Amino acid sequence: MQATVIYEDGDHRWIMFGRDANKSGGIIDTNQYMIQSGDQAILLDPGGIELFAPMLSAVLKFVPADKITHLFASHQDPDIISSLGLWDQALPKAKLYSPWLWESFIRHFGMERIQFCPIPDEGQTISLGRIQLQFVPAHYLHSSGNFHVYDPKAKILMSGDVGAALEEPDAPLYVDNMATHTPKMRKFHQRWMPSNEAKQDWIRRVRQLDIDIMAPQHGRLFQQKQVGEFLNWFEELPVGIAVR
Amino acid sequence: MATPIFVTAASIAAELHQAMLEAKGLALTAKNARALAVRAGSKTVGFKAITHFIDELASDIIRQSQYINGVSESLSQQAVALWRANTAASKFEWLERQQLPWGESLRESMQTCYEERERLSQLLHRGLRELEAQLEEGDKHIRTANLIATSSKVEAASAGDFRAQLEVIAHNITITASQIRQHLTNARRLLNQKQV
Repeated sequence: MQATVIYEDGDHRWIMFGRDANKSGGIIDTNQYMIQSGDQAILLDPGGIELFAPMLSAVLKFVPADKITHLFASHQDPDIISSLGLWDQALPKAKLYSPWLWESFIRHFGMERIQFCPIPDEGQTISLGRIQLQFVPAHYLHSSGNFHVYDPKAKILMSGDVGAALEEPDAPLYVDNMATHTPKMRKFHQRWMPSNEAKQDWIRRVRQLDIDIMAPQHGRLFQQKQVGEFLNWFEELPVGIAVR
Repeated sequence: MATPIFVTAASIAAELHQAMLEAKGLALTAKNARALAVRAGSKTVGFKAITHFIDELASDIIRQSQYINGVSESLSQQAVALWRANTAASKFEWLERQQLPWGESLRESMQTCYEERERLSQLLHRGLRELEAQLEEGDKHIRTANLIATSSKVEAASAGDFRAQLEVIAHNITITASQIRQHLTNARRLLNQKQV
């Protein structure tokens, strides 16, 4: 599992985990993120059960287990949080922030010790160490209860499945050319995202944020210029139409 | 509260990762020391000889740290697999107690699961013993590092104009050895704590 620091300012860091060359075949490649500030850290979409051991091993190279105080699951999918039963053993004092809608579903992954903190539909701001993190509503993108994470100090938006592209594990970290990158995203967004109305609502919301990096859960990350290009492209893309 | 073995093993891998980074710093110190010894000429012949040992020691520590790191990461994965097998086995055991009409139809799966649990358990214990032995080996490197640091200080004292610079290098070796020792101590403490 590769670990890349994508932002660092004192004890405030964003680390991306992914591009795991050793993962079992047939499992979709995912990007996991950790934000650290002061004595606390949050894992964003910590991943599926198959990734748990390499992920834990990679994370502990940056921070001891007792400093991982928060987990975030953008929605209920297995590639997002099916490792929960194991994190529950590893981080018994942690809190899991996730859409309220999915609490009784996510508990099926096994959660006896971690505390579930339901995020209301309108979103929420929490403190992590010395920073504030915003859970930005992204409902129906793709899940009916869905949030992204915005860090106004680092100017990074973790955008879940929005901006995702299915690529090889050795793909570059950042999008360098939108013209060649959009074909890799088109089908995914048209099939997975069910609502044009929800898409436009999210775009309006996100255009108000100051973003240096947009970090999706699959594929490459977008830097400032490409974020604007992505929003324009996404705005024009009809979604929920990939029906045969 | 007891810590799951997969957390312990991953934490040990992280400690050894840090030890490896320190050893890479030691290798750099060796290079600086050698360059300085060459510039200083005949007054530092003894120090120059020591730099070869420092270099060799750094390589040994890097190699061993990488090895232990690999062992720890495998252990962590095996421990996760064992935890999953244990979870499944406990569910099977509960099902067995229910004496279900079609309970026997699970027999083969149950047997496979119990065998897998046993295999993983043995693998894990072998791995833990291996880890313990490797950490012992690491202690030997630290003792060597301390000897080298002492010899470096002695040689620096007779290096004339280069004394101050060589003393800094000798001091760096002492500090790095102490940091590596701390990581090994942390790793051993983790290994000795109560596991589940």
